[in-house]
Amino acid sequence: MKTFKVLFTAFTLLIFGLNAQAQGKKTESIKIKTSAVCNMCKATIEKGMAYEKGVQKAELDVASQMLTVQYRADKTNVETLRTAVNQLGYDADEAVANEKAYNKLDDCCKKDKGVH
Amino acid sequence: MILALKSRKTLFGLLLILLFPAVAFTQNLNGQVFDRSDKNTVLPGASLVWAGTTSGTLSDSKGTFTLPFSTQTNKLVISFIGYKPDTITVKPKELFLRVYLEESGSLQEVEITAKQDRFDAKTPIKTEIITSRDLEKSACCNLAESFETNASVEVSTTDAVSGAKQIQMLGLDGAYTLLTTDNVPALQGLATPFRLNYLSGTYIDNIDIIKGTGSVLNGYESISGQVNVKLKDPEKADRVFVNLYGNDLGKWDANLNVGHSFSEKLSTVLMLHTAQLHNRVDRNDDGFMDQPLGTQYNVYNKWKYTSGRFVSEVGLNALRENRIGGQTSYKEGSGAASGNYGTESLTDRVSGYTKLSLTSKNKPYESLGLILSGSNHKFDSEYGFRNYDGEQQSALARFIFQSAIGTTAHTYKLGASFGHENLRENFEDTLMTRKEYIPGIFGEYTYNNAHNLTVVAGARTDFHNLYGTVFTPRLHVKYDLNPNNIFRISGGKGFRVANPIAENSGALVSSRRFIFQEKLQPEEAWNTGGSFTRYFTLGGKPGTFIADYYYTTFQNQVVADMYSVPEAVIFTNLEGRSFSNSFQAEVQYELAKGLDVKAAYKYFDVKSSYEGKLMDRPMNPKNRFFVNAGYATAFDKWRFDATVQWFGNRSLPTIADHAGNVETNRTADPFSVLNSQVTRSFKHWDIYVGGENLLNFKQKDPIMNADQPFSHGFDASMVWGPISGRVIYAGLRYKLK
Repeated sequence: MKTFKVLFTAFTLLIFGLNAQAQGKKTESIKIKTSAVCNMCKATIEKGMAYEKGVQKAELDVASQMLTVQYRADKTNVETLRTAVNQLGYDADEAVANEKAYNKLDDCCKKDKGVH
Repeated sequence: MILALKSRKTLFGLLLILLFPAVAFTQNLNGQVFDRSDKNTVLPGASLVWAGTTSGTLSDSKGTFTLPFSTQTNKLVISFIGYKPDTITVKPKELFLRVYLEESGSLQEVEITAKQDRFDAKTPIKTEIITSRDLEKSACCNLAESFETNASVEVSTTDAVSGAKQIQMLGLDGAYTLLTTDNVPALQGLATPFRLNYLSGTYIDNIDIIKGTGSVLNGYESISGQVNVKLKDPEKADRVFVNLYGNDLGKWDANLNVGHSFSEKLSTVLMLHTAQLHNRVDRNDDGFMDQPLGTQYNVYNKWKYTSGRFVSEVGLNALRENRIGGQTSYKEGSGAASGNYGTESLTDRVSGYTKLSLTSKNKPYESLGLILSGSNHKFDSEYGFRNYDGEQQSALARFIFQSAIGTTAHTYKLGASFGHENLRENFEDTLMTRKEYIPGIFGEYTYNNAHNLTVVAGARTDFHNLYGTVFTPRLHVKYDLNPNNIFRISGGKGFRVANPIAENSGALVSSRRFIFQEKLQPEEAWNTGGSFTRYFTLGGKPGTFIADYYYTTFQNQVVADMYSVPEAVIFTNLEGRSFSNSFQAEVQYELAKGLDVKAAYKYFDVKSSYEGKLMDRPMNPKNRFFVNAGYATAFDKWRFDATVQWFGNRSLPTIADHAGNVETNRTADPFSVLNSQVTRSFKHWDIYVGGENLLNFKQKDPIMNADQPFSHGFDASMVWGPISGRVIYAGLRYKLK
């Protein structure tokens, strides 16, 4: 039981610590036009971007294919964010998707399917 | 005049109100279904259903269809055998809808579902899925641990020394469950004792669990159910995947998967696994190692080739495993003559399979499939003074033709198979051999009315060279009361040839004599049952409720009698009744955002006749509870998981101590096991820490007369609870997509 308490406290501290750290700096926002076509793409992109350094929030609007990213300018930049989207298998503005990643996407996420 | 005008307006309004619903009701959606690659080919018999409803229709011989617009949804689901299903949003005034379906090109026997619901709503046979996400919650690294977060399949240890484990379904031994990898029968016969160790968790994409009889396409076995392990798909495999695991017993595992696509057509995945334990651990101070020392090297290579209507898959596996168990003072290779008790086993296994499938050019629902598989399993083992070694060669060829009668509401599969088993066992210097040649034919008919009823009727006849003609009929019916309430019933016969020593390897680690009183006949049983699945929404959160009941009754069974004589296990054919009643009720619900909870209650009444007396199958608790809770933060950055299992009272076999005092009617007390895990994910890395049996429950004296292993009362097979106590582990995963 004691082990649990110690573990639990450690995790709680860790989570709070991470949050506190993230709150200090100012964030910037950018809109990126992607080749996402469905809700599965939305899930893939939002999850993938959440794991990128400096990204605080990523939200995709499927209908307009627009991805809004809130990020910390001192940790990342727009080019890196676009590349991250490409690595997930999607176009980002003019930058074309990474071919290998694109080939691995589920069929419903392929560009030629059109927004659905 | 004004009044008249007013009334005219009212009349007009009234008319509108009257007419409008009428219009809405009579308005139909018309359309036609085509092949995407060849737009002149129409698809007759495609199913069109409004999403989430039971209203739908089938396309006619020209591929055209008419169905009323739905008031509930504008999403139309179009599916057709041999094609990828599609969902289309229909515009309110769509006059004529053209649907283009894309060929799926996948083998019909290896349909890969992207959908990861744990209880599939579509399959006519009740199928529960352990997803790859579920697999990550278990304490790595082989199939035995993969069921830790699942209520339907349980894993038990056969004895306290050798480390052999068995799965259990419906309260029946793992031998009655058909184990398949990618729908190819695998790890059967003499491989049974350690088979769960031979598939690394990192090879597995997901696992399908089918309770009750399965499809006749996979043979006459599967009496209590089928566990189909879907291995990583070369087309979707990560480029690099690494897993490292270690626990406080000193056991460690290492895995490496490498995936590569040579072109759009050809891809491969190479998977390597090793498991090592070189540390002698004896935490219950009985002089015996709690876990056997072991070294395993395992390699699996899978290839896939897809070219239009032709798909081919090849899988190759080789493994070598060495295990040493027994007293902590036992030295490898020293044998029982050294005065120390030990168990040793060395296993070499190679296996492979290939699948080829060809789809007809203009009839995508028609296909030919050929599946070839083979294996060679060789082992050499010692249990104290007993030696047990053997070899088994297995080969199986299956040919399946699939087509439809008229429309795809009526589909059928016809096929032929040829199986060969060549077994040689040498037990205590008695040689036993068996050669089986099993040609067989089979057929399965599926009726699907595209709304709410599916019937699958199958039968096979095999011409066994030793046991004559074996007829195996099976029936599955699925009825959707509505999309959220689904009933399924199943019934059928199963047949199998038992391998009594391999299936009771636990008893080898005891002073019990193995007595074969008569010529053992194949086992035969009927299994009938049904389930009710309800998908519900409570407080805006989705949940699932499942209740099922299965009854299995044996016409013949190889009974391992450990009741009648204390110092023996007597193998006989069944005389009298033997049955299993199994009931399970389970709820899965998302209690709060990110917090998923599963709770299950299980009741098993499993009895067999021992010397004419109907008694509980030993070691089988009647009542069990299972609770699993998993919490994940946004995007799974943190994952917490905990499982508690409670086991009720259970009957134990008769024993005698070395003074010859006989004890009957023994039972074991209830106990609980708690497992927990925490995972932190980064972009390419996962780190996990966990504990098994955190409540630190240990069975008292799992080995009877451990201090005198060569005496009459020595018995390590009376194990019903954990031996090691709490085990803490940690590991990391690296993924490059």
